[in-house]
Amino acid sequence: MNDLRIINIEKKYNSRLPKNDSAFTLQPIGLTIKEGEFFSLLGPSGCGKTTLLKLVAGLIRADGGEIRMDDFDLTAVPPEDRRFAMVFQKSLLFPHMTVEENVAFGLKMQKVSKKMRLDQARNMLEHVGLQGFGFRHPDELSGGQQQRVALARALVAHPRLLLMDEPFSALDPSLREDMRELLRQIQKEFRVTVLFVTHDREEAFYLSDRIGVMSEGELLQVGTAQNLRDHPDTTKVAAFLGLKNLIEGTVTNGYFSSKLEEFEIPVPHLIEEGSCFLILRPEAIQLMPEGVIPGADAMHIRGEIQQLIFNHGFYIGKLKTANHQLECSFSSQQAKNMAAGQMVDLMISLNDIHIVKK
Amino acid sequence: MNKTSWLTKIILVVVLMLFIGLPFLLLVLSSISFGWQWPNILPESFSFRSWEYVLTGSSDTWRAVGFSLLIAVTVTAVNILLAVPAAKSLVRNQLRAKWLFEAIIFAPIVIPPFVAVMGIHLTFLRLGLTETVLGVVLAHLSPTLPYMVRAVVISYNTLSVDWEDQARMLGAGTISRFYHVVLPHIMPGIAAGASLSILISLSQYLITFIIGSGQVVTLPILLFPFISGGDPAIASAYSLLFAGIAILTLLGMDAALKKYYQKKKTATGKA
Repeated sequence: MNDLRIINIEKKYNSRLPKNDSAFTLQPIGLTIKEGEFFSLLGPSGCGKTTLLKLVAGLIRADGGEIRMDDFDLTAVPPEDRRFAMVFQKSLLFPHMTVEENVAFGLKMQKVSKKMRLDQARNMLEHVGLQGFGFRHPDELSGGQQQRVALARALVAHPRLLLMDEPFSALDPSLREDMRELLRQIQKEFRVTVLFVTHDREEAFYLSDRIGVMSEGELLQVGTAQNLRDHPDTTKVAAFLGLKNLIEGTVTNGYFSSKLEEFEIPVPHLIEEGSCFLILRPEAIQLMPEGVIPGADAMHIRGEIQQLIFNHGFYIGKLKTANHQLECSFSSQQAKNMAAGQMVDLMISLNDIHIVKK
Repeated sequence: MNKTSWLTKIILVVVLMLFIGLPFLLLVLSSISFGWQWPNILPESFSFRSWEYVLTGSSDTWRAVGFSLLIAVTVTAVNILLAVPAAKSLVRNQLRAKWLFEAIIFAPIVIPPFVAVMGIHLTFLRLGLTETVLGVVLAHLSPTLPYMVRAVVISYNTLSVDWEDQARMLGAGTISRFYHVVLPHIMPGIAAGASLSILISLSQYLITFIIGSGQVVTLPILLFPFISGGDPAIASAYSLLFAGIAILTLLGMDAALKKYYQKKKTATGKA
């Protein structure tokens, strides 16, 4: 199996100035990426995800640890001999070569004959929807087209691993969606293993089989998109995934009580005692039907609507309860009968709440 | 609008003629004059005596031209070989004493050549390099290298490491990376540096004179005695020849550069 194994790889950047203690450290990271998998590293800028990518590529020398593929140790192999490919944020097409020559460059380096490599380049250009563009020079293409060429150039030599460093972040939003779709399609078609770096969680959720969330040089959690969203290990992960309604509190004797003494709910006994956060996902919060009394398996929330914001076909309601600010989502239908300043009764099933350690 | 643009054009042409054309015209006149004395505005009689002397006859002109070009081209070639790696390390490496290296490389621009050449002369005497073309070539490096390095450094500065990283990820080794990615990018810088290097080397008098000790005869060495008191007609003819050689060399380099880029373009066109 051509799995990529990252074993305790680490990197320290010593700050040159002794006063500056913000020297960056990438904590030892262990990770296995399966053949044909689309794996994303998600994290805010400066969290070390690009460093990790470049360590895998070999463009940066690691301070410790190993990169293995197919059970070969690649740590000491220079990047040009790893048979990996990389797409950068900028397309980096060689300006003095035509599009075709750019795509064929990798094959040229492998000493493939001219006719063969140009044939394959044309074929690959067709796959990214750029047939007939081969004779043009890169400066005659738009940003999106350039990035397509960069993708074709990376794939033409059938790399064992495709590394992508925020490849679409310089494109405008609609183009970014097209590129996402194209990449998804092509990745399926060529069954190429992809290690993708992004700070855009929608992009990561849309494309990835698995996602690794990174922060401050640490890999916090690895899992599928749904897994991460439903069961974030820590509040950092939750916060980065954009989860709303984090309520601080403690768990004692099988009960969670919020710090500001508003909520008290039973929790499964599996949960360790100590300080923690309660997460109420906005979409899990339901409007309580009139005349219904919430049962023991649900939590009751009462609050005043402060604001209703229209967003992608539903409404985001900002709610003020006794001590907290909560966010919940309402359908257009529900929002019709609401107005700012109104008191509403809401409930959430205990199955839908999640508690994470601090 | 149209009228003013015409006017500026005419003024520009007149100024150009005054500052560039006129001195040349005077040189041409002077070179073909015979006894051009005050208060005559134009020479009284003309003769091609000086040109005859310069171009044919007993003079060493063509040998000197050959040496001048040989030295200038060799110096420039050595400069390119030295400047490209130097520029790479100056730009890419985070050196602690970078300012020191830069100061040493750029010192010849600031320090008068006479100061340095005395020391060089002494050393070369011991090494037996005086009176040789090799010695002159080595001595010419010091005033020319700074310009070459400067030009290539500026080109290198505009080449982000990402380009080389990209080429690496596509499987390009050190040599391929340099040839396919770095060289095309820094070519304009190399060309600019090479023009300066050739011109400076061609016009060296002092260094050639001291290190060559009169045995390595370049064009300026032939030219100077005539300027400083000999025959103004012959000095003029030499000056024109000198200018002609310099211009031809630059044009030749320009053509070579254009050919280089054309080759790249047609190669891509056919591909």
